[in-house]
Amino acid sequence: MEQSPLFMPNLLYIHIPFCIQKCTYCDFFSMPYDESVAKTYIDALYQELYLKKDFYTTLKTIYTGGGTPSLLPDECFKQLFICLKDNFSFSSDIEITVEANPGTINESKINTVLSLGVNRLSIGIQSFNNDELKTLGRIHSSEDASRSIEIIKKEGINNFSVDLMYGVPGQAIESWHNSISTAVELSPTHISTYELTLEENTPLYKLLKSNKPVPQHKREISYTSPPLMGGDKGEGENEYKKSPPPYPSPIDGDGNIINGKFPTLAKGGKGEFANKIKLPDEELIIEMYNHAIDYFASCGYEHYEISNFALPGFRCVHNLNYWDRGEYIGVGAGAHSFINGIRSKNTEDINRYIQDLNSGIIPEIESIKLTPTDTLKEIIFLKLRKTEGININTLSDITVSRNQSCHSALDAESSFFTSLDSCFRRNDINILQASRELVDEGYLEIERGYLRLTRKGIVISNTIIVKLFERLGID
Amino acid sequence: MAKNIRNFSIIAHIDHGKSTLADRLLEYTGALSAREMTEQVLDSMDLERERGITIKAHAVRLLYKADDGNNYILNLIDTPGHVDFSYEVSRSLASCDGALLVVDASQGVEAQTLANAYLALEHNLEIIPVINKIDLPSADPEKTKRQIEDAIGIDCSDAILASAKEGIGTREILDAIVKKIPSPAGDDNKPLKALIFDSWFDNYQGIIILVRVFDGKVMAGKKIKLMATEGVYEVSQVGIFSPKMEPISELSSGEVGYIISGIKSVTDTKIGDTITDADNPAQEPCPGYKDIKPMVFCGLYPTQSHQYENLRDALNKLRLNDSSFNYEPETSLALGSGFRCGFLGLLHMEIIKERLEREFDLSLLSTAPTVVYRVTKTGGDILYIENPALLPEKYEMIEEPFVVATIFMPKDFIGPILDLCQEKRGFQKSFTFIGKDRIKVEYELPLNEILWDFYDRLKSLSKGYASMDYDFIGFRESNLVKLNILINGEVVDALSLIVHKDKAYYKGRELTEKLREIIQRQMFEVVIQAAIGNKIISRESVRALRKDVIAKCYGGDITRKRKLLEKQKEGKKRMKQVGKIELPQEAFLAVLKVK
Repeated sequence: MEQSPLFMPNLLYIHIPFCIQKCTYCDFFSMPYDESVAKTYIDALYQELYLKKDFYTTLKTIYTGGGTPSLLPDECFKQLFICLKDNFSFSSDIEITVEANPGTINESKINTVLSLGVNRLSIGIQSFNNDELKTLGRIHSSEDASRSIEIIKKEGINNFSVDLMYGVPGQAIESWHNSISTAVELSPTHISTYELTLEENTPLYKLLKSNKPVPQHKREISYTSPPLMGGDKGEGENEYKKSPPPYPSPIDGDGNIINGKFPTLAKGGKGEFANKIKLPDEELIIEMYNHAIDYFASCGYEHYEISNFALPGFRCVHNLNYWDRGEYIGVGAGAHSFINGIRSKNTEDINRYIQDLNSGIIPEIESIKLTPTDTLKEIIFLKLRKTEGININTLSDITVSRNQSCHSALDAESSFFTSLDSCFRRNDINILQASRELVDEGYLEIERGYLRLTRKGIVISNTIIVKLFERLGID
Repeated sequence: MAKNIRNFSIIAHIDHGKSTLADRLLEYTGALSAREMTEQVLDSMDLERERGITIKAHAVRLLYKADDGNNYILNLIDTPGHVDFSYEVSRSLASCDGALLVVDASQGVEAQTLANAYLALEHNLEIIPVINKIDLPSADPEKTKRQIEDAIGIDCSDAILASAKEGIGTREILDAIVKKIPSPAGDDNKPLKALIFDSWFDNYQGIIILVRVFDGKVMAGKKIKLMATEGVYEVSQVGIFSPKMEPISELSSGEVGYIISGIKSVTDTKIGDTITDADNPAQEPCPGYKDIKPMVFCGLYPTQSHQYENLRDALNKLRLNDSSFNYEPETSLALGSGFRCGFLGLLHMEIIKERLEREFDLSLLSTAPTVVYRVTKTGGDILYIENPALLPEKYEMIEEPFVVATIFMPKDFIGPILDLCQEKRGFQKSFTFIGKDRIKVEYELPLNEILWDFYDRLKSLSKGYASMDYDFIGFRESNLVKLNILINGEVVDALSLIVHKDKAYYKGRELTEKLREIIQRQMFEVVIQAAIGNKIISRESVRALRKDVIAKCYGGDITRKRKLLEKQKEGKKRMKQVGKIELPQEAFLAVLKVK
């Protein structure tokens, strides 16, 4: 397809769908790590990157997420980055983030990624309370988390983000206070705080719904020397081969990939049940969230998106792009892309992903061309996630649609964007009117031309957004 | 000519095989070939087929060459199969001289078997018992015969054993119709006297009236008069259904067919009315005409107020075909503009509501059904209250409609069913054994009490074996009060109801509790109260919504988040905004869930 070089996406997301163990709350697709599958997968990623290389201009961000990207062996990382450098040019201020699980971080791993150009780490700490970590099915302890941060700082990475989770079953307010203050003491540049969302079809959901005591994980979860981080001597690898992994291999006897199941929770045995625990009360969850906002602010972190905080100058460029509705390309199983007003998605099935790419096919399974209404909805709900809000005076959002209309003219879809423009103009005029009552009631506020959620509105933002949709008359 | 005519109906309890038997008769007499038959031709409305009941009556002319070598005209007049339509049934039966009483050999006599059989006896019809479904392993024809004899008192020694499904007994039934049912009496030379037993609106022909001619003749060009409504019209066409519509030159005494005469509205062609010569009218109309009045009412409101006009047009169109329901514009403080609609019964109400939503693509909100109350004001004026919200503060007396309900059940279930009738303020009128193991009870009950969950509970208490029929018997004074529901301090008129005083406290408590479960959390606290007059009798509250946020939004899966919000918005579509509060449809029907 002909593409105008001016408006190519310059953000790349790479998905690594492997984990050592599935967390009890996670409903994303991932599979147990197996080195040979991972290697085949990296080959497939290479293929996809190669097939998509003409879509890109100079890369501004690369974000490697998962799953647990940090469990990839050094050679896989090397292969991946060689491929990236072979096929793309990097802008001088490129942000390259890798998500890492504290249970998988060691010095050599950090050295490797640093040498490859990674300049930002996102560490999935979640909590500094070991009981909560057990409930969540995390593979690391609070001590592992602190130690891993020491390692990355010692190796010279100061730009890192930590993820923390509130609303965990059994979590007390004191524990949350402790987790966020401990996190701040480690001086990350960026902090993400997520409320635990109980998704159906997760072990945690079933446990809490069954109203039974939560069984604890059988396996000892403290990893002092991660088995998968083979050192340069290759001992780790040998060791790994000698001792079978604590979960079924995703490879059968013939070397075919099978979708292994995670052993999520051990069968309840004597002494393995903790006390009956349940989700914290709603008011407590709100208190946790509000406390985090105030506490982080007092420590100099700016609250720039519903769940994200950063020191000045350290906002996540890659993620900001999602909320600003910029384009991006995702590679990997289950990865999403947004180009030319089309949101698309790759298959989550790793087998199919690998097979398709081996035959030179991009394994896309879903492709949705946004209607003007979809676009308008996205503008509202994505931009309101940012504390900055929606610029209603300068119509900066129209600029987004104008940018898009430049490409779309190329593929003769200009009428779509003409209608988007008019749809937006019409609704732009009404957005003040549509939001008036919500502003009066203190859920939204308008300041210097920006419409944004207030503290009161942010905790019920879905309801507020849906009300705005209604008032704007968009279905 | 009339001596070769037989006019008959098939009467049966629901699902005992009436429609299937009608199909067999059509097929056997060649009215339709097997290939032309869509299953159950007579039930032509989709809804009728889905619910397995006949809503409108139809009439089909069958030609049959009997054993005696003569050709006969058999007019099959189909009847609606539900208690809500018993007046229409009675008019259809009045047009017949005989009836096939179809009873399922595996189920035995049921409430509607009896109700319809009694109706047939009232009209002096010759009844031919047909024991159907004899092919079923559980069929017990002998027991069924005994039940018919015990319950209805008609001789079953030569009842016909049949299976309409398998085509067993069809010829025997046709022969019995010819031999046993008398040919119609009547005089071609007398002034025209024809009974209207059905009518409907046709887009091309206007109103089509189905009649049974008792005396005289009717043909195109004749000036006719409808005796009850006093309208005078000129006939443009007469004909029969075979079952296709076929014009013929005239309909004479004893015959059944249709008349088209430029009438525009079914309200002018009341079922049970008599058609006569405009110039030379009959002395007396056919007996039994009643101006039937709706007994069950509810408010119908568009969930979105801009659909009000569409709703009015839709009601207007449906009314073209069904004069038995009515509607009046009404305004509710809570719900805005809508209509108070009256129906023959609950099923009738459900059918109309479903058709409005399905055929006219409307999203409707209905208030809980209510009966009509007769209120005598202090000055002696009488008011009929179809909307509980309109009950005046002060009045002399309030009366509610009573029915006599006939319930059939296997004897094992008698205890819980009598308890149920007692709970519903019933008075037992009779208690009769039908054979060894079935019981018939008659209860006088307030219609209001059987409107809601009575039938469902009857069915569940009896594992589905009990059946029921009822007849309106009149208004009776009761100790009734108005129960108001207040939401955040405001009376929601659409939630008001009239209840018996002894049950008011209990209902108030239960209703506020149900509403608390039903009303979703809003951005503020919602307080629900029940009150009798100024006295608050119960209070519940729905806590304010405190937390509703998508915690995480990255990784690029924007579409999933958008759909999540859209789903949330979709859920609100069926909500009705009452003041600042969003109430779901279930809130208005919550009272139905209160035992």
